[in-house]
Amino acid sequence: MKRVAITHVAQSSGAESRESLMDFTYRVNKEILDKAGLRREEVGCIIAGSADVFHSGLSCANAFDWDGIGAFLKEGSRAEESAFSFIYGCMRILSGRYDTVLVTALVKGSENPDNDPVTGFYGDPFYLRPAGLNESVVAALQMRQYMERRGVTEEQCAKVAVKNLGNALFNPYADRKRRVSLEDVMNSERRYDPLKALECAPKSDGVVSVLLASEKRAKKLTKKPVWLQGYGSSMDHFHPGDRDLLNGRLPEAAKRAYAMAGIGNPRKEIDVAEVCEPYAFQELLWCEQLGFCGEGKGGTWIDSGASRMDGALPVNASGGVLATNPYPARGLYRIVEAALQLKGEAGEHQVGKPVRTALAHSTHGFGGQCHSVVILSA
Amino acid sequence: MGNAVAIIGTGQTRHGRRSDACYPDLVREAVTAALEDAGITLADIDGVVLGTMPSMMEGVSSTHFYFAEALGSVGKPVLKVETCGSTGQSIGHCGFFWVASGMADIVLVVGSEKMSEGDGQATMTTVFDPFFQRTFAAGAPGVFTMQSMEWMYRFGIPEEKGREAAALISVSNHDNAMDNPHAHIRMRVTMDEVKNARVITYPVRLLDVCPASDGACAVVFASQKAVRKSGRKPAWIRGLGFRGEEFFYGESDKAVWMSATEAAGEAYRQAGIRDPLKELDVAEVYNPFTYQEMIFYECFGFCPRGEAPDYVLRGTFLKGGELPCCPSGGTLCTNPIGATGLIRMAEAALQVTGKAGERQVEGAKLALSHAMGGVDQFNGITIVGSTL
Repeated sequence: MKRVAITHVAQSSGAESRESLMDFTYRVNKEILDKAGLRREEVGCIIAGSADVFHSGLSCANAFDWDGIGAFLKEGSRAEESAFSFIYGCMRILSGRYDTVLVTALVKGSENPDNDPVTGFYGDPFYLRPAGLNESVVAALQMRQYMERRGVTEEQCAKVAVKNLGNALFNPYADRKRRVSLEDVMNSERRYDPLKALECAPKSDGVVSVLLASEKRAKKLTKKPVWLQGYGSSMDHFHPGDRDLLNGRLPEAAKRAYAMAGIGNPRKEIDVAEVCEPYAFQELLWCEQLGFCGEGKGGTWIDSGASRMDGALPVNASGGVLATNPYPARGLYRIVEAALQLKGEAGEHQVGKPVRTALAHSTHGFGGQCHSVVILSA
Repeated sequence: MGNAVAIIGTGQTRHGRRSDACYPDLVREAVTAALEDAGITLADIDGVVLGTMPSMMEGVSSTHFYFAEALGSVGKPVLKVETCGSTGQSIGHCGFFWVASGMADIVLVVGSEKMSEGDGQATMTTVFDPFFQRTFAAGAPGVFTMQSMEWMYRFGIPEEKGREAAALISVSNHDNAMDNPHAHIRMRVTMDEVKNARVITYPVRLLDVCPASDGACAVVFASQKAVRKSGRKPAWIRGLGFRGEEFFYGESDKAVWMSATEAAGEAYRQAGIRDPLKELDVAEVYNPFTYQEMIFYECFGFCPRGEAPDYVLRGTFLKGGELPCCPSGGTLCTNPIGATGLIRMAEAALQVTGKAGERQVEGAKLALSHAMGGVDQFNGITIVGSTL
């Protein structure tokens, strides 16, 4: 089978930007093209990752995106979630029809309403929306179940926020930068009981790009290509009531990605992971489901320090989504951070151990309604 | 170059005002029909691609969640691709690349829209930016009429001639829709009726404009291996192109429409087509407005610039003409937007596999399908053939 590599990456800070979305997008896109020494005309195809109306104030986001992503009169498309855009870009290369594909995800969260009213529109207008469901409400239900059924404590969940916000202090692109103690997290405002303010992701700005290339082209473009080894995705039922929030579709998505990458023992074979955790406890639940620790062991796992930047399997060395949450772009941020770790270019948040295989995860929807798992290698 | 991909099944709903079905029901209707046509079950599907118009149109965001059960996509990998009106072509392209990449053998692609439950024109106005363009945007007719006027003025087309040709396009599309059991508007109209219909945005009149339809379309894409296994007659994907231009309407030339011209050019290169008028057997052009259809003919190289009305009046694009266009009745008679571009692709596939029933163009082997989207901004083309 053909191979596809990430040759270059670029990202903006997650902090509120004073640029217009078009300029904001252009700047990051220009940066990645400059790094690769390419003009936009030389790129085979361009794929946007963005969401419409509720995340951008505009319908048909691709219409506005097109100029900033450099796609004028170029082959291209748009997927609604940035991990989708990434894998669609990979497919274009693997088809043999393109040598280079630029994937850019973009959003200005600072110009739009909070994520809670926005994610409320995932629900249908008849049953779910009138009940007030949104991403945070479902996450709170999920956290309650996680504690009750798996015996994980509230403090153990809060520790994820302490770890990730601590890591974010070393990431120049992070949005929320604040050293917090366990006490700070536990005492922060109860948003949706048992979820507390510091356990919920902020709403961030963000433009993030990856340049993808075929094997032959990648070797010419960079000395440090990062290879796609596996991808898996799966989607759950629509009604939260039809789902078991603790037994979702992530194990299935991970299984597909591991099978494609030939990974038998993720705990040993994966060196570093970027996991999409808009709510602190979700990092623990997702890590269980990714096979990093046993079922119900998420709490003792965080206690063990294994997921710390200097641990056996560092998770979210970048600070994760708890620090930076440009919603539709956050999946590609995870992929870019995993790629930086593999390239050894993560700067101050580069993990101590050697990194040969990395996992990036993205999820959107209510309580992990849809998951994508990407395996990358150096 | 790369793996070959074919369409092995298509399914469409009965399009129109479907107050008998809820939105997910509509999606399911198309999915069931496509699976039946391809002779497969949901278990055979490796991945699902979905696209609709933006959330404003649906009243729900991220519709891949809402349609999870209807699509049969629970537990499957899903991709949600959207590019406005051109969504139907873009999701088809995604289905193609998913299979061509070798990551899947069979991919189900679904586009849908339930326009009767939303406000289409209000939604389309929100495609414009909120600061400069939105305040004077008047939904789709405003933009497309401006473009039509620009085109007629640029090439010195007398208004009378433009009117006459546009009326003939309306009459022939309505006639064609009578042969299509899926079509929304099924009635015959006369030249006089078109020319005297109520003005929408001058010179565009009611019968120059598509309806707002409820409907869904599903298409099954398969690898060579899966094609053989299915035993179905394949419609091979021979070429595809997608191009977009600037967001601000005034920045590009809509009379010589580069995105339409280059998208077709790209698809022709891949399919090895030099003279589209001669080589293509049938075309399903995305024609929500009669005047605009003529601009597409020129951009796609069916005739020289500025001469489309002459070719139309000569009968070049009628059933039995040199290059029959929209034997299905086209977008002019059926427009569930998120599905429309995919319907064009499905109709093209039906034509080259000889399954188009009453609307079959005799012996069609090579067909073009198209969709347009954004503020006159995006064009997508797919060419399908009976042979690879």
